[in-house]
Amino acid sequence: MDREAAIVLRHVTKSYRRDQIQIPVLSDLSLSVEEGEFLALMGPSGSGKTTLLNLIAGLDRPTGGEILVQDNDLARMSDGQITKWRSNHVGFIFQTYNLIPVLRAQENVELPLLLTSLSRKERRERARTALRVVGLEGREDHFPRQLSGGQEQRVAIARAIVTDPYLLVADEPTGDLDRVSAEEILLLLEQLNHEFEKTIVMVTHDPQAAKRATRLLHLDKGKLVADVAQGRDVRTAVQPENAS
Amino acid sequence: MKFLGYILRNARRNPVRSLLTIGSIAVCGFLAMVLLSLFSTNTEVRSTLVPFNRVITMSAQGFTQPVPIALVREIPAIDDRSGIHAIVHRESDDKPLVSPFSWYGGKFRGESATFFAQFGVDPDTLFDIYPELTIAPDQLQAFKERPDGTVIGRKLAEDKKLSVGDSFELKGEIYPFDMNLTVVGIFDGPEKRDLRTCYFNWNFLNEGLKRDFQGQGANNSGTVLMRCKSDELVTKLCAAVDEDTKSSDRATKTQTEDAFVSQFSEMIKDLQTYINMVGLAVAFSLLVICGVAMAMSMRERTSEVAVLRAIGFQKGQILFMVLTEAVLIAGIGGFIGTFGTMLLFKFWDISPYTMGFFPFFYIPTTVAVTGFLVSLLVGLLSGLIPAFRASSLPVIDGLRKVV
Repeated sequence: MDREAAIVLRHVTKSYRRDQIQIPVLSDLSLSVEEGEFLALMGPSGSGKTTLLNLIAGLDRPTGGEILVQDNDLARMSDGQITKWRSNHVGFIFQTYNLIPVLRAQENVELPLLLTSLSRKERRERARTALRVVGLEGREDHFPRQLSGGQEQRVAIARAIVTDPYLLVADEPTGDLDRVSAEEILLLLEQLNHEFEKTIVMVTHDPQAAKRATRLLHLDKGKLVADVAQGRDVRTAVQPENAS
Repeated sequence: MKFLGYILRNARRNPVRSLLTIGSIAVCGFLAMVLLSLFSTNTEVRSTLVPFNRVITMSAQGFTQPVPIALVREIPAIDDRSGIHAIVHRESDDKPLVSPFSWYGGKFRGESATFFAQFGVDPDTLFDIYPELTIAPDQLQAFKERPDGTVIGRKLAEDKKLSVGDSFELKGEIYPFDMNLTVVGIFDGPEKRDLRTCYFNWNFLNEGLKRDFQGQGANNSGTVLMRCKSDELVTKLCAAVDEDTKSSDRATKTQTEDAFVSQFSEMIKDLQTYINMVGLAVAFSLLVICGVAMAMSMRERTSEVAVLRAIGFQKGQILFMVLTEAVLIAGIGGFIGTFGTMLLFKFWDISPYTMGFFPFFYIPTTVAVTGFLVSLLVGLLSGLIPAFRASSLPVIDGLRKVV
């Protein structure tokens, strides 16, 4: 089962130290995500869902346990290695879009490509393609302030997919959007999942958004309390530690 | 180069702050250039005098005491007698290139203060001793022939709106008689020479002393100026002249023109130290200005830097971009402050406003280049802490600022 799994977490724990106090966030969490899955993470504030997302994306390191993404053991990678790995394999979508305000839409999308050996012309073509995929053709020269929230998030998604990453991580991608824009973004994510077979891990508070995922995880106090796939409780079926 | 577009956009992100920072650096650069050039100009000009191998003999008691005019004859004799043969002789008549050089220090046409130099010289040898000064042959001839003739520098002629044939009255301040001269020539010279000087016939001054001051102070010269063949012979000549006069009541101190001029710099050496300290304070102010601007700028961009790190930018790349931005802003300000100031003084002659302290003023290229390099260094240093903090910030902490 490991061979088919895109992401495997084994007995992962994570705690933060604030002054002299150790604050546990995730405790003994095991999980397997298959390639091409659209996973939604839900739970109350402080349940550890963003921490889990950050661990899967290689932005943070576990206190204990093992995280394998495409057979890469993230915990064993150096800072430089994991940064390079992120640039090649992970696309990020944030709640507040986090576009660079001084760059035009096209330049924002090109940003991750600056780390590649592509020529300027190739970078432009790829950025235009990504903007076309998210439906923003003709908005290439707009600055973020000249776009609506929904359009900004589309640019952010274009930036996330422009390097053709294996994994997309989205932290409340519709949290700052109105219902119509949120619906458009969710449709886009669904499209990326179905048509481009991107593995997506999305943190959300919105049950409507979570319904668009193929699998839903509920976290509470750092523990996995529910694991639902297409209306089916699969928690007992997923046992990565016994899979190999 | 791939990142240059992004760096330039960031530099223009807050145009008001960037312009104010650039402006502050430019103003500091201007101030530093002016202060540092006060002395380096003098040093640089002194270095241009060296190739002419000119020597000045003054009283061993100091240049305010005169030396006997007889030295004008005796020094060439000492030179011959000692077998040094250092002094250049004119080819046409074998006349040694030696001249009296006496400061008059009068006031021009009723001015309350006059700030140009006035020297009594030998018109026959002056322009051979100063080959870098040029004058029309007919004007030089008139200078040699007319006892009351004076030749003045081009800039002095322009300042006072004088031309050949005009009267040139100097009211005696040191000497108790006036000099009613006539401009017989206007000389030119290199850019880095004082072209606000007036030369007249030493004999005219001497005759005035005999006539109007009962001969007191007559037959003396402030100093004696001569031109030598080589710097090696200069040393021997200086030693020979001073040795010859040391046991007399007219003991001399003979030295190169460069060494003579440097005496004046030595007199204000303490001031130079203070000015250098002000220069350092200016550099430190620049560091603070740039540092604050960069720190503010980076603080506003914490989450953006975190996003860059998240999408794969390495720490070193962030460090490079922030430092380049800091160096760019400081460099633009530095460039304006240094080369802009240099250009300003190239076209703006401030000498008339300096009460004669600076017969010419310019920013030496070495000073401007050094100032510009210092501004780049300041930019680099000021960006170090913000850049290091930005590149070292854990990604999730940076993202948390917004997310």
